[in-house]
Amino acid sequence: MSDARRIEEQAATWLLRTEQPDWSEEQQAELHQWLDESYSHKAAFWRLEHGWQRADRLAALGGKETVRARESRPVPNWWRGAIAASIALLVAIVPTYFVATGGFGGVGSEHVAEQRFSTALGTRKTVALVDGSKVELNTATFIRARVDTRRRELWLDRGEAYFEVVHDPARPFVVFAGPRTITVLGTKFSVRRDGNRVSVSVIEGRVRVDYGGTTTTTRPAATIGIGDTAVSDGDSTIVASGSIEQVERTMSWRRGMLTFNNATLADAAAEFNRYNTRKIQILDDQAAQVRIGGTFEATNVDAFVRLLREAYGVKVEVEPRAVKISA
Amino acid sequence: MIDDEALSAWFCDAILSHEAALMRFIHRNWRDAGEAADLRQEIYERVLIGARRELPRNAGHYLFAVARNHLINRAKRAQIVSFDLVADMSALGVPGEILDAERHLSAREELRRAQAGLDLLPPRCREVVRLRKIEGLSTRETAERLGVGINTVEKQLTLGIRAMTDFMLGGSGKIQRWAAGNDKAGAASHE
Repeated sequence: MSDARRIEEQAATWLLRTEQPDWSEEQQAELHQWLDESYSHKAAFWRLEHGWQRADRLAALGGKETVRARESRPVPNWWRGAIAASIALLVAIVPTYFVATGGFGGVGSEHVAEQRFSTALGTRKTVALVDGSKVELNTATFIRARVDTRRRELWLDRGEAYFEVVHDPARPFVVFAGPRTITVLGTKFSVRRDGNRVSVSVIEGRVRVDYGGTTTTTRPAATIGIGDTAVSDGDSTIVASGSIEQVERTMSWRRGMLTFNNATLADAAAEFNRYNTRKIQILDDQAAQVRIGGTFEATNVDAFVRLLREAYGVKVEVEPRAVKISA
Repeated sequence: MIDDEALSAWFCDAILSHEAALMRFIHRNWRDAGEAADLRQEIYERVLIGARRELPRNAGHYLFAVARNHLINRAKRAQIVSFDLVADMSALGVPGEILDAERHLSAREELRRAQAGLDLLPPRCREVVRLRKIEGLSTRETAERLGVGINTVEKQLTLGIRAMTDFMLGGSGKIQRWAAGNDKAGAASHE
């Protein structure tokens, strides 16, 4: 096999792994190391990433493709169950994609530049889109935006972001976050994505959360307003109606802070670990269940751990790459 | 030094939009069509190395200058073309029509192309790509759903990513698969 082809296969394997729910920071670091080895790796990976993303529109397909495949071709036995199951699923989320695109599908060659923004672990960044909307990226986040005269589309590929969207009824602002789309006209809200789990919190205006990767669907999962948080995982969406204070607390990362209110130590540790390379590990259940509250600097693990030791009497072992906590 | 984010954005936007034209250029000037994908990859590598300090002002001209130099160097090194041909190529300007970057497609055109690319995939590969792109299944979920090993799914998806990329960038969507024998053995063991 030629070098070029071997590299392309490696790049494709990396790419498909980045899309898996168990993709970790360690793997991310390995990928970066591989990319840094040679420009040949970068060329192959970036090309596949770009081309594969362009095929994302497939998410808008209904069940038609599958039905045709079943009618016209003999299907091996081991595929059959899969196809039947997928038809059932697709019927449930049939998007009205063709209706939705009718308005702008006919436009010709319009140059839409894609803007990309990302943050490293433990950093934050505020960026402006060309329509004047503001996006604040939390730790380890990657977004892509396409804004033109007709639409405003943004992909949250990884991480968490806060949006202040300029009001424009003619151009809905759509955020694609994995299996969910979030549509607004002008408002302030945040979206967090952990693999396929997506949570949306609103501090101003109203936000519609839909199934599927299309701009309009017949079955919106939820419409939420001020103080609400919608959490989606798989097919289910839970809406928690709270207060503006609660929602603002979940957005305290915008000040570089983490706020916990009666959270378990396990959850708090997971939050800290989103921001720091030195990971907090909880060694036993008793420690994991300790309830904590308060506001902490997201990147100051030492201060948090000191407080745990003093206030809760847990045992702490500090190592270069990890902090181990036990009851 | 250009950071990776900017370099990658430039590469995807300004260079990859010429891929169909670049492949035409390679096919026109290189005898062995089987080497076209390798040449493309080598050219892209050189494009990035040359652009990492400063992004060239005219990406199209730059790309084809790199491509031409690379073909000439390869030809000289391999001594597989006569000197006449090399001389011709040195003199060869890049024809105007070749410089046209592909225009950005509308959402509907992009969907149509993706659908056509999907239709061209071999059946098992198509099903794995479908489950990934349309239903958003992970490789593990796909493996469970189809009752096959995760390696098989990864292999099919790898092929799907490469073929769909080729097609979305204006290629035929047909790519060379694994080394002879390798593929059959790997796939057959799960059936």
